[in-house]
Amino acid sequence: MLSLHAASSPAFFLARADLGRLLDLLREDGRRLIGPTVRDDAIVCDEIRGVADLPAGRGDRQAPGRYALTERADERLFDFVVGPTSWKRFTYPPRVPIGRARREGGAVSFGPPETDAPLLAFIGVRACELAALGVQDRVLLGGPYTDEDYRARRQTAIVVAVQCATAAPTCFCTSMDSGPEVRGGHDLALTELDAGFILESGSPTGTALLERLPVTAATVDQAVAAAQQTAAVRARIGDPLPTAGLHDRLLAKLDSPRWAEVAERCLSCANCTLVCPTCFCSSIERVGDLDGRDAESRRIWDSCFNPGFAKVAGGNFRARVQDRYRQWLTHKFATWWDQFGSSGCVGCGRCITWCPVGIDVREELLAIAPAVPAPPLPAAVEDVPVVPQEYVPTRVVDKRQETGDTWTLTLAGLDDVHAAGRPGQFLMVALPAFPPAAISVSRYLPPDGVCLTIRSAGPATTALVGLEPGAEVGIRGPVGVGWPVDVAAGRDIVVVTGGSGLAPLRPLIDAVLADRARFGEFHLYYGARTAADMLFRDELEAWAARDDLDLVCRWLPGRGASVTTSGGAARSTVSAIHQATWDGSNAVAFVCGPERMMEATATALAGKAITPDRVYVTMERHMECGIGLCGHCQMGRFFVCKDGPVFQLSHLGDTFGREGI
Amino acid sequence: MGALGPKPRIGVIKMASCDGCQLTLLDLEDELLELTERFQIVEFAEASSSRSTGPFDICLVEGSISTPEQAEQIQELRRQSKLLVTIGACATAGGIQALRNWQDHDEVRAAVYAHPEFIESLATATPIRDHVAVDAELRGCPIDAGQLVELLTALNIGRRPWLPDEAVCMECKRRGTVCVMVSGRGACLGPLTQTGCTALCPAYDRGCFACFGPRENANAASLTCWLVGGGAAPADVGRLFAGFTAYAEPFRSLVTELGATPGATNGTGSAGIVGAPSIRSGARIAGCMREPGD
Amino acid sequence: MHGAETRAGDYHFEVEGIARVEGEGSLKLRISDGEVREARLSIFEAPRYFERLVVGRTPNEVLDIVTRICGICPIAYQFGAAQAFEDLFGVTVDPQVRALRRLLYAGEWIESHALHVYMLHAPDFLGYDSAISMARDHRALVEQGLALKRTGNEIMRILGGRPIHPVSVRVGGFSRVPRPADLEPLRKPLEAAVTQSLETLKVVAGLDAPVFEREPLYVSLRHDAEYPMLGGRIVSSDGMDAPVQGWRDLFAEQHLEGTNALHARTHDGRVYQLGPAARVTLCADQLHPLAKEALAASGLAGAIRRNPYWSIAARAVELIHAAAEARDIVEAYRPPVRGLEPWTARPGVAAWGTEAPRGLCWHRYEVDERGLVSACQIVPPTSQNQGAIERDLAEFAPSVLDLPHAEATVRLEQLIRSYDPCISCATHFLRLEVERD
Repeated sequence: MLSLHAASSPAFFLARADLGRLLDLLREDGRRLIGPTVRDDAIVCDEIRGVADLPAGRGDRQAPGRYALTERADERLFDFVVGPTSWKRFTYPPRVPIGRARREGGAVSFGPPETDAPLLAFIGVRACELAALGVQDRVLLGGPYTDEDYRARRQTAIVVAVQCATAAPTCFCTSMDSGPEVRGGHDLALTELDAGFILESGSPTGTALLERLPVTAATVDQAVAAAQQTAAVRARIGDPLPTAGLHDRLLAKLDSPRWAEVAERCLSCANCTLVCPTCFCSSIERVGDLDGRDAESRRIWDSCFNPGFAKVAGGNFRARVQDRYRQWLTHKFATWWDQFGSSGCVGCGRCITWCPVGIDVREELLAIAPAVPAPPLPAAVEDVPVVPQEYVPTRVVDKRQETGDTWTLTLAGLDDVHAAGRPGQFLMVALPAFPPAAISVSRYLPPDGVCLTIRSAGPATTALVGLEPGAEVGIRGPVGVGWPVDVAAGRDIVVVTGGSGLAPLRPLIDAVLADRARFGEFHLYYGARTAADMLFRDELEAWAARDDLDLVCRWLPGRGASVTTSGGAARSTVSAIHQATWDGSNAVAFVCGPERMMEATATALAGKAITPDRVYVTMERHMECGIGLCGHCQMGRFFVCKDGPVFQLSHLGDTFGREGI
Repeated sequence: MGALGPKPRIGVIKMASCDGCQLTLLDLEDELLELTERFQIVEFAEASSSRSTGPFDICLVEGSISTPEQAEQIQELRRQSKLLVTIGACATAGGIQALRNWQDHDEVRAAVYAHPEFIESLATATPIRDHVAVDAELRGCPIDAGQLVELLTALNIGRRPWLPDEAVCMECKRRGTVCVMVSGRGACLGPLTQTGCTALCPAYDRGCFACFGPRENANAASLTCWLVGGGAAPADVGRLFAGFTAYAEPFRSLVTELGATPGATNGTGSAGIVGAPSIRSGARIAGCMREPGD
Repeated sequence: MHGAETRAGDYHFEVEGIARVEGEGSLKLRISDGEVREARLSIFEAPRYFERLVVGRTPNEVLDIVTRICGICPIAYQFGAAQAFEDLFGVTVDPQVRALRRLLYAGEWIESHALHVYMLHAPDFLGYDSAISMARDHRALVEQGLALKRTGNEIMRILGGRPIHPVSVRVGGFSRVPRPADLEPLRKPLEAAVTQSLETLKVVAGLDAPVFEREPLYVSLRHDAEYPMLGGRIVSSDGMDAPVQGWRDLFAEQHLEGTNALHARTHDGRVYQLGPAARVTLCADQLHPLAKEALAASGLAGAIRRNPYWSIAARAVELIHAAAEARDIVEAYRPPVRGLEPWTARPGVAAWGTEAPRGLCWHRYEVDERGLVSACQIVPPTSQNQGAIERDLAEFAPSVLDLPHAEATVRLEQLIRSYDPCISCATHFLRLEVERD
């Protein structure tokens, strides 16, 4: 009968006066009830004590940038649309402790937070919000890494859904295929009628609750009234945002002038992302004692609209507001599909209502991406093994200065997991009270050691290079996608890098030299600002002396170098490639350097018949969490820390080298 | 492990100000005695009779430069200080007294003092950074105690302080406050203002009046269009910007452009630092707001 | 401070930059032939022209602006302005709103008095240059002061968002009033504060104060039903009496011959003293029973009246009063029916005074047809006390001339600090003297 809803579950009727019984049952095990209630001239989700706290007879009026409470004569409890609070406040709170770190002398220790996830019951979850919980489940629990705080809250929560009985002009769940009908993800679904509620179970928990409530089987009239009510909501919303081909249409419009135009109106205040029920970007905040001996890490809500979100030591990948707006919109409606197999938007309309200047995403999308499909993009990259998420104290056993600002630390005593990285992977390295740094492994020292070559570029890296042998650091990893050494078997190899970029490539060079016969010709191009800025000078000398390795070093004039190579000052590695005589048609290239340098290198390599599918590059982004949960390192369809940092150039598509991605 | 060596020497110095920012240091009841074990506070006239003119490892400067003596003094302080940190809206943006920068100085002096010829002050009250290089700043009127502790902790252990440059809205939403502007309770400068205050005013049911000053990318023009489009008089919107950080761009230009010159009595009086009910966010206006389907 | 220059029989004291006061001021004393020729507290705090900054602003904007006169007594400025406008506009606030205002003001009194007693003034009595150095020998004492101060600040934090320049005070009430649960965290600290403040008076009573007696003219507000804070009538120790709006009927700011500072005087030219000693002297009968009892037990009422150094005891008595009253208000709190009374501006003159920690702080605003301020006069306590401070200095100075210079200077500075002068406040209203040699 209620075929629009969940065909499988029978419908029951609960009298209005008995709703309190349901809430009492939910509370039996000490569970806190979270539901809609009136506060600060809005209907928010907050802790409720009982039915009396629900917004009886209250409704809302919403429009772009506007929200107002209304009053009705009736006593209905759920006749309104989604308010400013989304359930992520409770499943993914704005500020939660995620770890504790201590430092005692040279020793460090890392421990889990002292948290016990609260037992919660959510009352009045709408269809679009159920869809949003599903979206966040895929992001935060889909792996390979997972957010344990989220898991604990989500697993224990009981979800009581409510079928929408009204809609706002900002609603577009119909277009996003997320509502208005509740389709799953709930334990119990309510449809409010004047006399009471139609209840349907969506889980064994829901069924168990139903069995203990004074319900009767719903009559045909009641079932029809409920179905009509929801159908009317669907009709009222219509289809405000045609989404056919939207993914491709949008990605084809990365150069639209509209991005700059919307940036003139956008306040980059981040409200849209904070009210969004699926946005999950976060940062780590550290709070500790005055001496940095004891610090708690907290995950806090962040936003891709914030100025520092995509900053790295050398600059800001998305310095302009138009870059940030494009990042947000294309992620929600396009690249989210590539990453997580669904849209990042559920059409709840909060970002429209709560934008202080009323920017309407639907309007922007229709203006930016009219119906012209673009070619599909290639599939995602290979999987890498998952390592434990906790930081493990590890001892520094040796330290060596490489250049004026760069040192190599040797760590020893790693267990099998932490020592078993691949060339190009990196470790997250942490000191209590400092943000962790993503550091590429510059050499593996089996069975239990690694070298980390670190340039002092900020306080955290400065603190790291200040450590002396005997001190400890926390490590997590190795993580990230490394250099695919195997694809070069039987082929020639071209390595192009500059400055500190040699560090992540050294394990690859080690691997090739260790099994030299497996590979063909080996050309290594290395540039630096001055000869003194070159890493691993002794080894360069040794490599230069080999006749099975063609080493070309380049530096700017002004300083001599003792490296006896074919080459010298004043010419760039790029021009050296242009002038080279080798043929690259059977070569694989590995490139590491600033994006502009890699672009120029790719052009030069193409001139040597090395096509983009045989070029591997490593991308730099702001790495906050290092495991693909915080959003900072996003680059188009990818999280650099999880999907990279090494990418096949052909996979990057037209996001490579584009400003503001 | 701090880069400043053991027990860095701190000086707390005041220019033109209300003393509230340096009082924040004395208000750190829980940390004060512990702090004095990590730092030597060698100059802090409000708290100690023992005085110093430098050198300082860290100099915390409160207040804006508004007399010829202060303009000289700040140069000397810069020479005496390894790190010069400005604290509060006066030091970082000129403060409320910078409202006189729009007015005729002689007239202002004469309006307040019977003998203006005895009053030696500069025609403008200006932020410290207009005079000397500044190594770090804590914003706010007054500064936030938590940010002060964070700064001192970071200096103590040699890391970068966590002083986010995002909008007040970030903390407002984390806090769970309902947006005062969208819910029709008044104009709010939160979207334009740098966070750090823990989003205080909206949590107390009033709009932000930007005491932490404009943040990076503060799009004041767009917010102005939205408010004027909603029916507010331009001068009333302009007076929103004529507060404690009025002299910082882009507020400074808008105060003038919108006809909200301090000291003049323009506007209807219906709006101000606190948004009055007559300001409703709403309509769109040409030039800023596009009509649907344009 | 720097050394005395002694020339044949002439003494010239200069204290450049008086420490442990709010703001920047200096003292100059010229003595020749054993007679004080000049005693001048001069202020080199930079002028900020507040009277001009509020012109053209709405009443609520004025509240936000005038609070910035002083970081240490922001509430005094907010309540003076708010009640002046409410008086003109005919607004009566809910009784519970008034109770919350007394609670908030008590917070400011506790914070300000604890700061002064423990951190600014006590080091004088015990021979330290600051509370920080005092803490090395008297850690428990300093911690008790910090605990009291924290409780005062906590009241302001809960009611106003932050202790310095709180944000919730509005014309008509509060932008947001607390729920009873919000005040819950104050119960324990206030209970402790009552004990700590009683302890404070005991500690203070054991201090040695310099001997110096005189009979000043005391002025304060006096309220029918309560110890004066938010309003009352202006009264004096010699029988003056006027409504709170009528400050100008009793006093005037005068431009005196020979100095460039404008002092407040009675219409017949006398200097007068405000603040804790004035209030305790004129309104002791209205103190909270706990404070009244403690004052009687200390036997210090007479010393407080006659010796300015004993103002520290007056502050301790008021700490007891403020802590006990705050505790009682929290106990009895019910949320107001209406936290913010609606109002419409009307043109005219708005005037009001309240008892700031340092004494009567008086405001006067002219409001135009559009509800914007067109003129303003604010008379803060320190500028009114300035005449009394200078007179005390002139009377007291001869008795310390035989002491070594450093000690004499400390005694004189201590005398100034007895008034807890807030130079940041005073500056904006004093006629500033700029010395040119």
